[in-house]
Amino acid sequence: MDEIPLWQDRLQREDLDAVAAALRSGWLTMGPRVADCEAAVAEGLGRSHAVLVSSPTAALHLALAGMGLGPGDEVVVSALAPPAVAAAARDAGARAVVADIRGEGDLGIDPDAVAAAIGRRTRAVIVSHPAGYPAEVEAVAALCAERGLPLVEDACEAPLATTAGGRRCGAVGAAAALGFAPGSVLAAGRAGLLATDDAALADRARLLRSHGMTSGSWSRHTGQTAGYDVVALGFNHRPDEPRAALVTSRWRRLEAEVGERRELTWAYRAALEPLAPALRPAFAEAAVGRSSCAAMVVLLGDARRRDEVRRSLLAVGRVRTGTLPAAPADGAPRARQALRAALALPLLPALGAAGVERVVGALAAALPAARAR
Amino acid sequence: MSWRVPLAELRISEEDVAAVLGCLGPGRLEAGAAVAALERALAGTLGVRHAVAVASGTAALHLACLAIGLGPGDEAIVPGLTFVATANAVRYAGATAVPCEVIAAREPNVDPDDVARRITPRTRAVIAVHLFGYPADLAALAEICAERGIALIEDCAQALGARFGGRSVGAVGDVGCLSFFSKKQLAIGEGGLVATDDERIAARVRALHALPGPGAAWDPARLGHDLAMDEPRAALALSRLGRLAGELEGRRRLARAYRRRLAGTPGIEIPFTEAAVADSGHFAFPLLLADRTQRDRFRAALAAEGVQTTCYPALHRLAAWPAPRPSLPRVEEAADRHVCLPMMADMEPASLDLVVDAALRAAPPR
Repeated sequence: MDEIPLWQDRLQREDLDAVAAALRSGWLTMGPRVADCEAAVAEGLGRSHAVLVSSPTAALHLALAGMGLGPGDEVVVSALAPPAVAAAARDAGARAVVADIRGEGDLGIDPDAVAAAIGRRTRAVIVSHPAGYPAEVEAVAALCAERGLPLVEDACEAPLATTAGGRRCGAVGAAAALGFAPGSVLAAGRAGLLATDDAALADRARLLRSHGMTSGSWSRHTGQTAGYDVVALGFNHRPDEPRAALVTSRWRRLEAEVGERRELTWAYRAALEPLAPALRPAFAEAAVGRSSCAAMVVLLGDARRRDEVRRSLLAVGRVRTGTLPAAPADGAPRARQALRAALALPLLPALGAAGVERVVGALAAALPAARAR
Repeated sequence: MSWRVPLAELRISEEDVAAVLGCLGPGRLEAGAAVAALERALAGTLGVRHAVAVASGTAALHLACLAIGLGPGDEAIVPGLTFVATANAVRYAGATAVPCEVIAAREPNVDPDDVARRITPRTRAVIAVHLFGYPADLAALAEICAERGIALIEDCAQALGARFGGRSVGAVGDVGCLSFFSKKQLAIGEGGLVATDDERIAARVRALHALPGPGAAWDPARLGHDLAMDEPRAALALSRLGRLAGELEGRRRLARAYRRRLAGTPGIEIPFTEAAVADSGHFAFPLLLADRTQRDRFRAALAAEGVQTTCYPALHRLAAWPAPRPSLPRVEEAADRHVCLPMMADMEPASLDLVVDAALRAAPPR
């Protein structure tokens, strides 16, 4: 019996062809393929500007640094925010202040908790769409507008997800980060993207992406510029042409692939129903159709049994599982509870109905009490 | 416009393409076997015990600074003539980069005597840069650093293949940093590597170079950075590594051809000695003109003939350099006078003729 991994990236022939063409061009640093990728993603998201970068963290970092955050500033983030959010805040010199999640049926940030967390030093709010499920970002956007704070969306796991109000995740905040890291909905190696309608922010992000230099290798190669100056403390957050080609190629198929993830999620939910209340999906049924379904997260009724269930799933069922990629935070009891009780089940396109059945069967065996009920 | 001879040219073979597709086909994007194999292979090439593949040369420098414990209140001495990332890495760690003098325009690497003069109680590291691929005086720098208990970081971003005293650069200091940017000897797009014999430094770099992956728990107090290399880039580097020795020899041949054909040209000086050619990694081929005006005219003349050139600004004259701006006359002279000609592993003879003829014509009249 083969082990079922938690996730597996799957590429198609056309993706490989796109990367091969980029390699054969002999031009690997940022050039025309990065520009094409940015145009395609900006259009798909409905945003004016997209800046492709070297990682999800880099996208979030450039959003914060581009907005001028620095030492002494605070940014409000979800208590279940992934490590990239904490790393980006730290890299911008700012302090991350956590707000609790909503809890039952929604692991997204609680707008009321955001309101309570905003203080004198708050300079931005980051809303993550956890596991690809849209958070209550519109309520936070209204709050941010009221307080005059920029909103950054961490849509790293939520490409093509839609908010309750029908807006695209990543198109609500003043800036949004998309993530293309391995294991993501759109995995392309290490890469990320910053999307915004703010031309000044996009320009600043482009400047900071490549060492604060006034010109890049491509512009010098094409004779548009002869030299450069360095006008800001910048970074190397550059993507390269092969990764850009891969993102563009996969972006075109994303709608269909997200559709497959939703099908799998619905199949899981139906199969998991008999296991309630010992185990239940972490997100509400109604949100699945609006989610990019980056991960299949369930909550155990008895969180103390979580690690034992995981061990049994791996040892007996040969099923690999995960936990939430978050850190336990003080003063966020709902997030702490979710963190202890959460279990991520394998969600990979190749799983199919038989795979879902096998995982749920292994779960049922690992939860004998639930099965007997 | 397109250059008749660009500054750098990269040859990607069908084997290279196949190596990358070999990762992408089965969906192997996350660092795995290829990254580990690249680390082992380059550790062997350099002669160090530990190597960690990372996102870029800048990332390598950043992680090296963090790993040696550089932090707020500390100073690190860097040569005043280098790419800005050398100094920025120090600043990412919260420390202050102190630019120092180069030996001379004809020998534009870091001046160990000036390094010694700039050491203060706050100095915690010296970053030696092997400019254009020519090794800095690591013996003198290592002695200065060892005497005072200061870390020696080697910025080998331009110098893969260079040697000092029979050892690979990157293996002499406490930690060496490589770059695989697209104009470098082992170009893969973006990439880098940290090399060290020091187990503690290696362990810290490894702990800091990646964020926890999907499904993993993490501790905010020990949160690392999102600076790992991915599998396809490692596969490309591994594939290209087999041709590295031959390509370095090609670069060396081109440097010798340039020296032979441009030697004695009035108005043009060739920095570094003939003897230094054998031990250089030949990232770029520098020339010196009399002054900035002559240099800029020379560049314009070559550009008019379709030959791309480049030059590096002095750190302390960059618009973004934080005050105070030191006076570094030798750095300024080297920055004003140098120009780099196209450098690549296999330049066509016709291209070489074109560059040399253009350079001879552009040489200032006596």
